[in-house]
Amino acid sequence: MSETQSIQIGQRETTFLGKLRVTLARRTEGRGVVLLALILGVVSFTQPLVFTAYPVSLGRIALIGLVALGLTAVILMGELDLSVASTLAVSGVVMALIPDVRLGIIVALGAGLVIGVINAFFVAVVGINSFIATLGMLFALRGLAYILSDEAPVRLTNTDAGIAFGMPLLGPITPRVLIFILAFFALQIFVTRVKAGREFFAVGGNRQAAYDAGIPVKRRIFTGFIISGFVASLAGVINTLERTAADPRAGLTVLLASFAAAIIGGNYLKGGRGSIVGTLIGATALGVLQVALTLSGIQVPVQNIFIGVILLLAVTTDPANLRAVLGSIRSLRQGRAKAQS
Amino acid sequence: MAKETLTEVITLAKSGSDQVAKKRSVLPWVADNGIFIFTALLIIFSAVFVNGFASLVNITDVFHRAAPIGIVAVGMTFVVISGNYLDLSVVAQVATSAVIFLAVSNQYGVPLAMLAALAAATVYALVNGIAVGYFKANAVIVTLATTYIGVGVLRFFSGGSIFFGPEDGPIRAFGTSKLGPVPYSALVLILVTIILAFVLSRTNFGFLVKSFGSNESATRLGGVNTGFVIVGAFFITALAAMIAGWVLAAFSNTAVSSMATGYDFQALAAIIVGGTSVFGGKGSVPRTLLGVVFVSVLTNILVLSNISFGYQQVALGVLIVIAVTVDALSRKAVKR
Repeated sequence: MSETQSIQIGQRETTFLGKLRVTLARRTEGRGVVLLALILGVVSFTQPLVFTAYPVSLGRIALIGLVALGLTAVILMGELDLSVASTLAVSGVVMALIPDVRLGIIVALGAGLVIGVINAFFVAVVGINSFIATLGMLFALRGLAYILSDEAPVRLTNTDAGIAFGMPLLGPITPRVLIFILAFFALQIFVTRVKAGREFFAVGGNRQAAYDAGIPVKRRIFTGFIISGFVASLAGVINTLERTAADPRAGLTVLLASFAAAIIGGNYLKGGRGSIVGTLIGATALGVLQVALTLSGIQVPVQNIFIGVILLLAVTTDPANLRAVLGSIRSLRQGRAKAQS
Repeated sequence: MAKETLTEVITLAKSGSDQVAKKRSVLPWVADNGIFIFTALLIIFSAVFVNGFASLVNITDVFHRAAPIGIVAVGMTFVVISGNYLDLSVVAQVATSAVIFLAVSNQYGVPLAMLAALAAATVYALVNGIAVGYFKANAVIVTLATTYIGVGVLRFFSGGSIFFGPEDGPIRAFGTSKLGPVPYSALVLILVTIILAFVLSRTNFGFLVKSFGSNESATRLGGVNTGFVIVGAFFITALAAMIAGWVLAAFSNTAVSSMATGYDFQALAAIIVGGTSVFGGKGSVPRTLLGVVFVSVLTNILVLSNISFGYQQVALGVLIVIAVTVDALSRKAVKR
């Protein structure tokens, strides 16, 4: 029995259908595609305004997607960065506090890098679980955002720069959407074509094996957290420019939506499996959903019910989780059957 | 000659092991017992240096604020010990319980209000517990989702409005009564602590929660229905959050969907500072009570010193990171 199985695994599929089947089994985006199709289907009947007002939808997708892209880099390694929401708020406030826009952007992005390094230090060097370390950072940084901003939204000094930033460059492409597209391609190339990025999968799949194979595991963890911190601060900068003000409370809704986007997009939370394309699909689904709900006049806390349910479903219907559940049900049944006979 | 070298080697090894033992003993000892010293020092420090701390009014106030957070924390200790990090959804659970308690008791009386809150707590426990225990989903993500779902549902049904309790009645009487400087709510905290300490250290269930936290697969291979244990841990957290909601509603005589903001975090700080390990398997309920005292006194002196909310958040966040770092490093030291 086991012999035939091992032969089957070793076999190469030659027919077109066989190849397709293998490719589909390898891909992780299945659930994201289903959700996107479902949401697009429902929305096109109930709220077609989403498609007519597509610049709004694109902007929303870009905001959720940008944070989710950074998260994906960390999730691929089996870690998590809960601090992204506060990183977004802190860097936004930092940027608004500095009168010169260019200097503000540089300092804000630098803050994101530093936060990434601190997170990675606690995870890789001290050895704290990333869920707890970044949770501590989530609250500490939120406090920092309150301190810096004096617990009130900070206006951008140079509002002209903000207004100029919100103007579309080409068709519906605003600078925010352009930055998102660039970030998407940069990360996609990084994790599929660059050695360091490929190593993320190895670190997430089996850390000990990656270490034994000579992959600098700690350095990769630093890379991942720096990417997520930097991308989150980038989102904070973009947010502040577009709204011409920085809110220290910003980012909580984005946190929920970007987690949902990354996880429903097929990024396995225990690491090693996932894709940037999946994150894009997830972000598109959630962005469209949020815009559709907003256009229907539904309040944000009630919108969060939908997104929360999607996140809950995403994290429980993880293929690996489901396999474990089915396995335990099967073994339970077998145990019962044996006990009866 | 050979004999001498042998003794030399043995003495060397002995002195070496002594050195190792000394190195080993510091951090684990701090992780285990530091909280007793730090709490005592903090209380002495505040009594001597912080103006207005050692007054009867202030101490009653500390008790009032510590009680609901403490009840949440001692309940959540079970989830932390089971190795599932924390239950973020206590924020939604406390608010739900408080709103249901006041809204229903205004119309149908207190007993029915308690039953309704219990039903809500059961739903939370089942959703969190089944997703984490049976579907093996990550507890942080699951409870993050249920927090937003819970707050959203509460906002949907309450319309974001504030519920007031009756000006006179059993709820108000309970919320304002005191035994000396100790309000009734703090007595509830002590009672809950005693019961949960008994459950954790003296019952089979408590043993299984600890066992699951220290070695999940060994517990499963031992024939334990591990999913059930996790649901149980979340159920205890939900019951504690429910009671905290009642106490909070009775104290403030108002309830609104955003009333328990920050409870998740303060409860986690209390649990971790108390010496319960976020890595699971190690910890106790009375220790959490000690952590609650520490965190409440710390928050109180920050408030008394007019330090803004932002700094309080930073202080608690740093506190958590330090406590977890000490725990992690002491584990490494023991392993070595």
